[in-house]
Amino acid sequence: MHRHPPTNPNAPEAVIVDNLHKRFGPLEVLKGVSLTAREGDVITLIGSSGSGKSTLLRCINMLEVPDEGRIVIGGEAIGLKKGRGGRTIPADARQVDRLRTRLGMVFQNFNLWTHMTILENVIEAPVHVLGVPKAEAVDRARKLLDKVGILAKADSYPVQLSGGQQQRAAIARALAMQPKVMLFDEPTSALDPELVGEVLLVIRQLAEEGNTMILVTHEMGFAREVASEVVFLHQGRIEEQGPPDRVLVNPESERVRQFLSRHLSNGG
Amino acid sequence: MFELLSFGPNGWGGQLLGGAAMTVAVSLSSFALGLVFGSLGASAKLSRNVALNALAEVYTTIVRGVPELLVIYLLFFGGGGIVMAIGRVFGYEGYIELNAFTVGVVAVGLISGAYSTEVIRGAVQAVPHGQIEAARACGMNRWLILRRILVPQTMRYALPGLGNVWQLTLKDTALISVTALAEIMRVAHVAAGSTRQPFLFYTTAAALYLVLTTVSTAAFERAERRANRGVRRA
Ligand SMILES: Nc1ncnc2c1ncn2[C@@H]1O[C@H](COP(=O)(O)OP(=O)(O)O)[C@@H](O)[C@H]1O
Ligand SMILES: [Mg+2]
Repeated sequence: MHRHPPTNPNAPEAVIVDNLHKRFGPLEVLKGVSLTAREGDVITLIGSSGSGKSTLLRCINMLEVPDEGRIVIGGEAIGLKKGRGGRTIPADARQVDRLRTRLGMVFQNFNLWTHMTILENVIEAPVHVLGVPKAEAVDRARKLLDKVGILAKADSYPVQLSGGQQQRAAIARALAMQPKVMLFDEPTSALDPELVGEVLLVIRQLAEEGNTMILVTHEMGFAREVASEVVFLHQGRIEEQGPPDRVLVNPESERVRQFLSRHLSNGG
Repeated sequence: MFELLSFGPNGWGGQLLGGAAMTVAVSLSSFALGLVFGSLGASAKLSRNVALNALAEVYTTIVRGVPELLVIYLLFFGGGGIVMAIGRVFGYEGYIELNAFTVGVVAVGLISGAYSTEVIRGAVQAVPHGQIEAARACGMNRWLILRRILVPQTMRYALPGLGNVWQLTLKDTALISVTALAEIMRVAHVAAGSTRQPFLFYTTAAALYLVLTTVSTAAFERAERRANRGVRRA
């Protein structure tokens, strides 16, 4: 079985998460999470439902604003300030927009724009956010759609595609921004079982090409193959982290052990 | 009898046609103004600002809760006074008289806008939140998201409802015949009185309204089909 190379301790830090706290009303969902993704890392986040995996991922690109802590993207710290009512808000919305262009996000439910064709979805942000000339964006989009295997669907609308094809289109849309880091939030959880494989294949290829990725997944077998590091989240804290062959095979934590025994059947 | 409807010297054809043109002009202007009020009203209702919420709520409650004819009377008899009062604030002392067209358009526009507010608000809420998040995640700023994602998606959800608002607006313009503006209803009324053939002229008026609503319904259906590309399977 192919294994991802372990973290290179000398590679520059692509994402630093430092002592992150996030609460929704009275519920503290993240209770001081710290995490570093170096260039080339594939970090998989695992943990039970409700442990805060999505929230952590969404804080990295500021879809949720953390209450406390620091996020550094490619050496640049995201500025935060206290807004009215003591809530933390981004200090500079333009900085957030700019940093987001370096983070490609893939959602559980694809979230393709339904009023645009697949090709239009893929060129939208490069053209309107990055200012790439349209012809060039179309050219690149076609190559990406070819890479994820749905070039034939370029002029279809999202509703005409299967879930697996939609998710591959969403991956192409994220890649079109040439992001430094890809964020995946359970990219195969909304798919029929027979469509999971085609999406994992694309993600595995991206991992092998050396892309930096942070990936939330319940596919333990897949995590073991593609991850350079596995992080187990439990009730908003990191319970255990380390190379996949340790965390997923011989975890120190009893909680991780129990979690794995429950998810063994999910090995992909 | 049909000579009365002809375009000849004794016929009302020319005036009826002019009335139809006026009805279309008032309807289009009112509907457009209503879309402006409706967009503002929907934004206010969806805003996190409590004062704006309340203001929009007052607007739609009053306009929808008061007979439409009364809205027109209030504006017709009170509108000039209001404009003059505003004029005085800015130091203008002269007499301002509003013409019937302007008052009619503003009155029907206010009514149309109250209905559009609800339609647009519902449509905005129907846009899946994930699509907005995907846009934010790509680094799109608020204006870009509004222009490229939210408005096109809202249009698609709003079109059926706005088609209904358009029909209501078109029919509500008949109410401003009380201001003597020469639209279909007013022309029919005058013709009915002077020829003593009310049934003939009111039937003709009904036919004219039906032609207008039928044609515009077809236009809305075309627009809906265009906007719905990608919603239903081709
Ligand atoms: N926008 C929100 N408002 C309130 N509670 C939320 C929100 N998002 C997530 N939560 C809560 O935070 C907890 C963690 O959620 P999440 O990060 O989605 O967990 P996971 O992805 O690990 O399943 C859950 O209890 C969830 O109900
Ligand atoms: Mg989740």
